[in-house]
Amino acid sequence: MPDFDAKKVAEIHQHLHSHLPSESALRVKALETLLVDKGLVNPKTIDAWIEAYTEEIGPKRGARVVATAWCDPEYKARLLRDAPAAIDELGFLGKATAHLKVVENTDEVHNLVVCTLCSCYPFSILGIAPPWYKAAAYRSRAVRDPRGVLLEFGVDIDVDVEIHVWDSTAELRYLVLPQRPPGTEDMSEDELAALVSRNSMIGTDRELGIEIEAKG
Amino acid sequence: MDGIHDLGGKEGYGPIDVDDDESPFHHDWEGREWGIAQCARTPGITIDWWRHCRELIMPEDYLGRPYFDSWAQTDFSTYIEAGWISLQEISAGKSISTDADYGEPATAMTLKQVLQEDHDHAVRFDAEIETPPAFAVGQQIMTARHGSSGHTRLPQYARDRQGTVHAYHGAHVFPDLSAQGQETHQHCYSVMFEASELWPEAKWSQDKVYLDLWESYLTEA
Repeated sequence: MPDFDAKKVAEIHQHLHSHLPSESALRVKALETLLVDKGLVNPKTIDAWIEAYTEEIGPKRGARVVATAWCDPEYKARLLRDAPAAIDELGFLGKATAHLKVVENTDEVHNLVVCTLCSCYPFSILGIAPPWYKAAAYRSRAVRDPRGVLLEFGVDIDVDVEIHVWDSTAELRYLVLPQRPPGTEDMSEDELAALVSRNSMIGTDRELGIEIEAKG
Repeated sequence: MDGIHDLGGKEGYGPIDVDDDESPFHHDWEGREWGIAQCARTPGITIDWWRHCRELIMPEDYLGRPYFDSWAQTDFSTYIEAGWISLQEISAGKSISTDADYGEPATAMTLKQVLQEDHDHAVRFDAEIETPPAFAVGQQIMTARHGSSGHTRLPQYARDRQGTVHAYHGAHVFPDLSAQGQETHQHCYSVMFEASELWPEAKWSQDKVYLDLWESYLTEA
């Protein structure tokens, strides 16, 4: 059992700073070796988790949720009212999404999600967070300079549009519901899902469009 | 704690490296660490204690080392503090018998089992409590002027600021005490802050910042 002794942990970190190998790969290898040695983790289970978050769980799930909401107003209403139940209808409820909230972009509002205290992220619908989401530059600036941040992603938000930044530092997680692009009335749910970028569900992308494929 | 992790509004971190190929892991070791963190089970370790142990990483390591590397470092520290692995074992690079009771060795899980586990681990943090919420949606509140030296989820940039209760989430596990191993619940609210209340350069801005905050962080405005 832990003693919840922060002073002791600070000392442990100092010790690890001097005694662990400097290469990340070797540090993680050292951890895995010890935990496997003690029977605390099984390497095949680690393999399975990697496969799960590489092949099965990722932003395609979020894109499916968005496309379903675009096509089905009743689903959208359920999603905005009780997101965990609505994503569970599609089998996507899971890690870090039991207290999910969906925030909707409109002509007047653009939503942006960050976690300034660690890197909280709705794993079971968006997968592993992108490197920039976990970096100090994004975490420090998203709450203070959201328009500057968005410009770096190539997104210029009109001065008349309010930006709502959701700093998800509690156990609630946020998914942005982007606006359905104009001219997509005849598209199928599958085609719509393919238009939904991962960044649009975090808020660092806004106007989704039909990509014109280069003719070869 | 007023640590390096509390990054909101801090300046000087420069432009964002927005390039990303959208692959979940960029090195094999990142995936290994993700997997270790998912399957390692240690009695008594709460998510808030784990987060606090990550906050306690030396600032140069917190900022200077890769993200999943900091997860490995946090895992090491929580296991060592709880007596499950020792500093001697890290130096030796192998297990040396200790008094800890590790139980039955972890069995191998399949992809199907892991996906089921992910679904089953939609952990809820809310509970019914007897005291009614002190604040109503629409009410003006002030945030606490100070944090605490332990784990807390009131960021520095939002202290001693006026906000408006935007929504009520029910009573959630209170992180400050959960990081000390005590599970208690407090009413939790979504609070809206005008950007102009938070930042000197945002005087004319209509933008907003929303934070989910526990009742003891708040007082009536």
